[in-house]
Amino acid sequence: MFEIVLQDDGIVAVEGRLDAAQAVKAQTFLDQVEGQCVLDLGKLEYVSSAGLGVLLKTHKRLMGAGSGIKLINVSNHIHDIFRYSGFDKLFEIVPAGH
Amino acid sequence: MQQKFKRNFDELKNIVTMTESVFCELGLQPELRNVVDLATEELFVNMVTYNTETKEDILIEMLPHAFGLEVRLTDYDVERFDPTSAGSVNVDAPLDERTPGGLGLYLVIKMVDSIHYEYRNRQSKITFIVDRKQPDV
Repeated sequence: MFEIVLQDDGIVAVEGRLDAAQAVKAQTFLDQVEGQCVLDLGKLEYVSSAGLGVLLKTHKRLMGAGSGIKLINVSNHIHDIFRYSGFDKLFEIVPAGH
Repeated sequence: MQQKFKRNFDELKNIVTMTESVFCELGLQPELRNVVDLATEELFVNMVTYNTETKEDILIEMLPHAFGLEVRLTDYDVERFDPTSAGSVNVDAPLDERTPGGLGLYLVIKMVDSIHYEYRNRQSKITFIVDRKQPDV
């Protein structure tokens, strides 16, 4: 299961498993986003390199326009993936509980 | 436990179901799940994406190993490709130099405890182990 929705508060909520089978769905959604994008990953259970590629591509596009992606509510195991990938140096990340 | 999967990303959900069953059956620590899921997906996706000369299903086997799990993926009637020799990724590169490709195998090699590649009779077999160092106390 994977869901990505724009909430009333302007935050994009991501839920479930962002794997290679769901990457196109995520990319299609994020391709529509303009300006600063806050992604709430509090309910993201899993992300693979396909999902990381979606985040990277979107972040580069938005940074090119002077904004970018901020990741909030990032759980420890998702943060581990970001750290191994070097994404912790590329994105503004707010861990869960902060 | 072993199971064959079609060469399709839609099979990922069925692989997850298999992994859930194995973890439940063996009573493995849930903390190991993400690494097992990640490594299995990345290697499966790599086979599906690059071994396009075959139509054979991909065999996945999961076996207990010490306090963790040994996972084997076998791809049939394919050319040799050793994922353990995949090029490294500069994870310290700035954003404008980063590209999405290549990260999957890099993560697998960084996160599993061991990985082994074997090629024989046009069969590619990749075995990796994800383990804890000690049992529950």
